[in-house]
Amino acid sequence: MGRVKPFRHAAAAFLLSALLFGPTASAAAAELVVIVSAKSPLTALRADQVAAIFLGQSARFPDGTEAAPLDQRLGAPLRDEFYLRVTNKTPALLKAWWSKMVFTGRGQPPAEAADSAAVRRRVADNPDTIGYIDRTALDPSVRTVLVVQ
Amino acid sequence: MQQPFRRHFLTFTGLALGLMTGGGAHAEDGAGAASGVSPSLSPSLSVSGFGTVGLVHVSERHADFTSSVLKKHGAGATRRWSADVDTRLGLQLDLALSKRWSAVLQVVSEQDLDNSYRPRVEWANIKYQATPELALRVGRMALPMFLAAEYRKVGYIYPWVRPPVEAYGSMPFTSGDGADVNYRWSLGPLRNVSQVFYGYAAVPLEKPSRAYGRHITGLANTSDWGALSVRASLIDTEATTDIGIALFDAFDAFGPAGAALTRAYAIDHKRYSVASLGVNYDPGRWFAMAEASRSITHSLLGATRSVYASAGWRQGSFTPYLTWARVHATSATSDPGLPLAGLPAALAARGAALNQILNGILATIPEQTSSSAGVRWDLGTNMALKLQYDRVTPHRGSRGTLINQTPGFVSGRTTHVASVALDFVY
Repeated sequence: MGRVKPFRHAAAAFLLSALLFGPTASAAAAELVVIVSAKSPLTALRADQVAAIFLGQSARFPDGTEAAPLDQRLGAPLRDEFYLRVTNKTPALLKAWWSKMVFTGRGQPPAEAADSAAVRRRVADNPDTIGYIDRTALDPSVRTVLVVQ
Repeated sequence: MQQPFRRHFLTFTGLALGLMTGGGAHAEDGAGAASGVSPSLSPSLSVSGFGTVGLVHVSERHADFTSSVLKKHGAGATRRWSADVDTRLGLQLDLALSKRWSAVLQVVSEQDLDNSYRPRVEWANIKYQATPELALRVGRMALPMFLAAEYRKVGYIYPWVRPPVEAYGSMPFTSGDGADVNYRWSLGPLRNVSQVFYGYAAVPLEKPSRAYGRHITGLANTSDWGALSVRASLIDTEATTDIGIALFDAFDAFGPAGAALTRAYAIDHKRYSVASLGVNYDPGRWFAMAEASRSITHSLLGATRSVYASAGWRQGSFTPYLTWARVHATSATSDPGLPLAGLPAALAARGAALNQILNGILATIPEQTSSSAGVRWDLGTNMALKLQYDRVTPHRGSRGTLINQTPGFVSGRTTHVASVALDFVY
């Protein structure tokens, strides 16, 4: 019994430190939509299908055509929110995920565009590209395939 | 015999890498036009890397705690504090030539058995992505095994300071020269990656010794279903090393009984296999994982079973975690050795000395249990600071995964290990 104690104390200390420095508040909600080109035949995707494409687990849309994911720039609040809602990954977890992919030779993270307007333009021009933007940046050149809850 | 083969292989890989680098501009025109998509597909070189700066303190004074048997020493008997256990630096060059062709070079520097940090080429391979699902690689690459073995050198990826030594210590080969096929497939909601590897490995031990793994066959399959990931792997090789060769030469001089011991224990064209099954559940706010493995060597390295379980929860940038691990010898950890009855006194004394050496080696087949508690603190998005405390208990006469034990070492005594590590990727 006495032998177990130091271990318990250590565990309790870690628990306490976790509670003290507790969870951070998430960013203010923007309305996020996942888009493809208006020229694409795709009409809807499920969140898990979008997650698989953006995490490099799937290279194709459900209809079998190749999918090229396009990210917002690193550090953009919209990007962090997209990954948190669609993949349950914080920026640090996402970095660990892509480190795993890169350092096992499985893949490289998606290409990036500067902002919602830039993502929309690239998606509109390329039927294989899929992106996510602020709902207010929508126009008829692209089609919403998922409204991120 | 092995050396020239290995040199040729690396020369071939190096040449091929060079040719592909030179030919990059041409590849761009063809493949770029054919794919006609984003600019990310044109030839590009990306430089990335990873590293760990770690410091370990160990209570044991009669043996060293370390992270791999391929290290000269650790913390404990050699010195109370050691930076050699976890510290390493890795550099990776990824060359994307076209949508289909890419090449990678990864160099890692960490303490080795010669106490040097001489960089070692961990990977140098060329990949052909035949379809989005099918990839072929030729060159030096990570061996497919365990949940975390392929990225065991990249501390930033996993929550702990180091993967549980009880499991990951059973296979010191981390990369091999050969070819592999990766195939990605789906079955309903189940996303799978299957991998087959065939090749060869030469691992430098203490100079001038080496360990050779011939005819390495590796099979692995990872299945992901949402937050659940299951990985099964099997690796099989024919292992040869000159470690202990003087002992076995001496045994051979004792006639059939000695030759039988040599056959049983020498690492000479012996089948060495490791199988593992691991499960990881990671919905984001917390994670839980467990892995069981079995290793069989048909030699003085013995046979072992290992299991570990770990869980943690993420609170903001803090991830406290707990781990329990165990390795158990399933082969004999002692042997009666040469029959000494009826031998002349001088010969019997020599035989007894050899038996003692053999049993000293067999006692290094690990029997160990450890419990760990730690916390990972993510500092920004490319750096993490970890603190970990381990209670490591070798038992049943074994020294466990400890190395460099002195005559004062006693099996069964718990060693307290405190570690701090700063992991980064760039």
